[in-house]
Amino acid sequence: MAQTERTETRSEQEPLLSVENLQTAFFTDKEVIRAVDGISFDIRRGETVGIVGESGSGKSVTARSIMGLVDTPGRILDGSSIRFDGEELTDKTEKEYRNIRGGDIAMVFQDPLTSLNPVYSVGNQIKEALRLHQGMKGAQATEEAIDLLEAVGIPDASRRVKEYPHEFSGGMRQRAVIAMALACDPELLICDEPTTALDVTIQAQILELLDDLQEKRDLAIMFITHDMGVIAETSDRVNVMYAGEVVESAPVEELFANPRHPYTQGLLKSIPGNQPDADRLETIEGDVPTPNEPATYCRFEPRCPKAFDDCTRVHPEGVEVNADADDHTAACLLYPEDESREEAVAVHDRRGNDEEVTNE
Amino acid sequence: MSRWRYFAKRVLLSIPVLVFGASITFLVIRAGPLDPVSAILGPQGDPQAYEAIERRLGLNQPLWQQYIDYMVRLFTFDLGQSWVVQPNTSVYELVLSYAPRTIWLGFWSVLIAIFIGIPLGFYAGLNPNTFSDYVASFGGIVWRAMPNFWLAVILMSVLSQSEKILFGFDWEAWLVPTIVTGPPPLPDPIWGLFTNPDQFLRALKKIAPAAIVLGSASMGNEMRIGRTAVLETINSNYIETAKAKGVPPRSLVWKHIFRNALIPLVPIITGEAFLLIGGSVLVETVFDISGIGFLFFQGITNGDMPLVGSLMFIFILLVVVINIVQDLLYTIIDPRVGYDGGN
Repeated sequence: MAQTERTETRSEQEPLLSVENLQTAFFTDKEVIRAVDGISFDIRRGETVGIVGESGSGKSVTARSIMGLVDTPGRILDGSSIRFDGEELTDKTEKEYRNIRGGDIAMVFQDPLTSLNPVYSVGNQIKEALRLHQGMKGAQATEEAIDLLEAVGIPDASRRVKEYPHEFSGGMRQRAVIAMALACDPELLICDEPTTALDVTIQAQILELLDDLQEKRDLAIMFITHDMGVIAETSDRVNVMYAGEVVESAPVEELFANPRHPYTQGLLKSIPGNQPDADRLETIEGDVPTPNEPATYCRFEPRCPKAFDDCTRVHPEGVEVNADADDHTAACLLYPEDESREEAVAVHDRRGNDEEVTNE
Repeated sequence: MSRWRYFAKRVLLSIPVLVFGASITFLVIRAGPLDPVSAILGPQGDPQAYEAIERRLGLNQPLWQQYIDYMVRLFTFDLGQSWVVQPNTSVYELVLSYAPRTIWLGFWSVLIAIFIGIPLGFYAGLNPNTFSDYVASFGGIVWRAMPNFWLAVILMSVLSQSEKILFGFDWEAWLVPTIVTGPPPLPDPIWGLFTNPDQFLRALKKIAPAAIVLGSASMGNEMRIGRTAVLETINSNYIETAKAKGVPPRSLVWKHIFRNALIPLVPIITGEAFLLIGGSVLVETVFDISGIGFLFFQGITNGDMPLVGSLMFIFILLVVVINIVQDLLYTIIDPRVGYDGGN
C-alpha cells in the first residue's frame, strides 16, 4: 500500500464521507445507552478506513448510523453530522435516504450465510438492486447481473445467476452479496466484518477481491472488524474504537509501529504470535463497559495499566500524540507526550470544556 | 428428479398409508361394541331373525374373510350400501347428498381463518408491542382457547335470542330471515348459488355461526403463528441486507417478508384442514346441520359398519391428499425443499 503518497495528498483531497461528532443513543426504559458517543472521522475516495474494536464498542452502530438504518429505540442525536459527497445525510427524509442506500453507499454484512433471502434466486436479488437504482429490467438486468457475478469471480455466472442462495457455498455467497452491493456502482462500500464467518483461505480471497474492486472502481471502503490482522492487510487508515469513542486514529503503518493509546497497545499485544518469547498470551482484563452516561472520565481507565488519578476526573479528547506527529491522534491523558503530565491533562480539560460550550 | 416424478413417488408411497389406515378402521369398528344386527332388529328381536340378518350381512363369516372383503371393496371404490341409517341406499348416494353442506361449512371456516387470522397476525407482527398488537394477540389467545363445542352452544343460544341480549339486534331477522340451527338452504343444482345472490346470502348467513365456531381455533392459531413468523423474518439478516439495498417498505413487506413468513404457516393451514374433519362432526351435531359429520355420527351410534368404514376411508383419503398438497405448496414457496431427499 502506497502509504506515503496517500498521506501527502490526503489532507488536500475533499473527503467523500465526513463524520462529525456522531452520537447514536438507544433509549430504553431503564437507561440511555450511548452506543456511539461523539466520534469523528473522514473517508476519501479510493481509501480504506478500518474501524477496529472489541464487540460492543459501537462499530456496527456506526455503520448503521451512516446507512440510516438505526431502528427505534435508537436515534442519532442532534449535533451529529454525516456529510456524504457534500450532502448532509442526517437531515434526509427516509425516502431520500433510500436512494443513497444501495445507490451511493452500499453495505456488506457479517454473515453471508444469512444475508441473502433464501426464497429468491441470487440473480433476482441482484436485479432488484439494479431495478431500484438504475431502472434496469428484464434481459438487460439479467445480463448486468451475470457481469457482476463474473466481476466478483463466480465461475459459470450465467448458470449461477438462476440458483438459490442455499446452492452457494459460504465464500460464494459473500461474493454474491458483494456483487449485489456493487450493482449500482456505489462510491462507498461499508463492510461490517465481511470475513468473520469465513475460514481463512476464503477470507484471504474475499479481501483480495475487495482490493481489486477498490482499485478498478476507485471505491472508498469502510472496513469494520475486530481482527487486527485483517486491518493490517486492508486498511490505509485505522480508527480504534472503545465504548463508543474513537480512542486512536492513525495511518495503518504508524499505528502498528507506534501504538500510543494503552488500549491499542493492549490489542496489539494480545495478537497470538506477536510476543514470541512470552509464556502466556497477554490479554486486556475485563469487559467493555456499557456507555450509559455522558463520559466525564476515561472509559478505559478501569482496565488501563497506565491509569492515574486524573483519568477518573478528566475526559480525554483526541489530540495529536506529539508536536511533530503527522495525522496521529489519541484520546488519552498521556498525550501530547511532549508536554508535562499536568499540562497535557489541562489540554484535555480545556478541550472538553470548549466542546461543552459549543454544544450548548 | 423433476417435480412430477417426485409427486408420482409421493402418491405411490401414500398407498401403504391408506392400507394401514383402512386396516385400523376395520379393527376399531369390529372390536368396538357396534352391533348392527340388534340396531336393525330393535331390542326385542328373536334369535332366529338375528341369525338370519347376521348371515345376510356376512357377519357370521370368519373375521379374516370379512377383512379381505372389506379391503377389496374399499380399494376398488365399491363403498357398499348403508345397513342401518338409510337401509339399501348406496354410500355414494348418501355422501353426495350430505357432502355439499359440509363442504360449504368447511370452505367458509377455512376461509375465515385464513382471511382474518393471517392478516391480523401479520399486522401484529409488523407492529410489535403496540396497543393494536396487544389487542390482536390477546384476542388470538382468547379465540384459540375457546373450545368449539362450548363456543358452538354459547353462540347458538346467544344468536337465537339475540334481540333480548344484543340490545335489540335481531340476528334471525337481520338481512334475510333465518333460524340459527338447521342445514343451510343449498339450491339443488349447486351452481344456483352463483347465479342467485339472494340464495347465496341466505346460505352464507345460515352457515356463518357454525363456520365461525369451526374456524375459531384455527383463526387464533394462524394469528399467533403468523405474528411469530413475521417477527422472526423481520429480524433476520437478509431483511437488513434488503434495507441496505434501498428496498422500499412496501416491497420489503410483500416481497421479502411475506413469502418467508408463509413457510411456517403452510403446515398450520393444512393441519387445520384435518381438524375441520373432526370438528365438523361436533359442530354439525350442535347446529343440526345434516352434513358428513352428522352422517358419520349417526353411522357410529347406529352401528352402520359399511357407512362408518367408507366415511373413514374417505377421511383418510382426504388427509393423504391434503398432505400431498401441502408438500406441493412447500416446493412452490420454498426453493430449499428438495425433491430427492437428502442433498
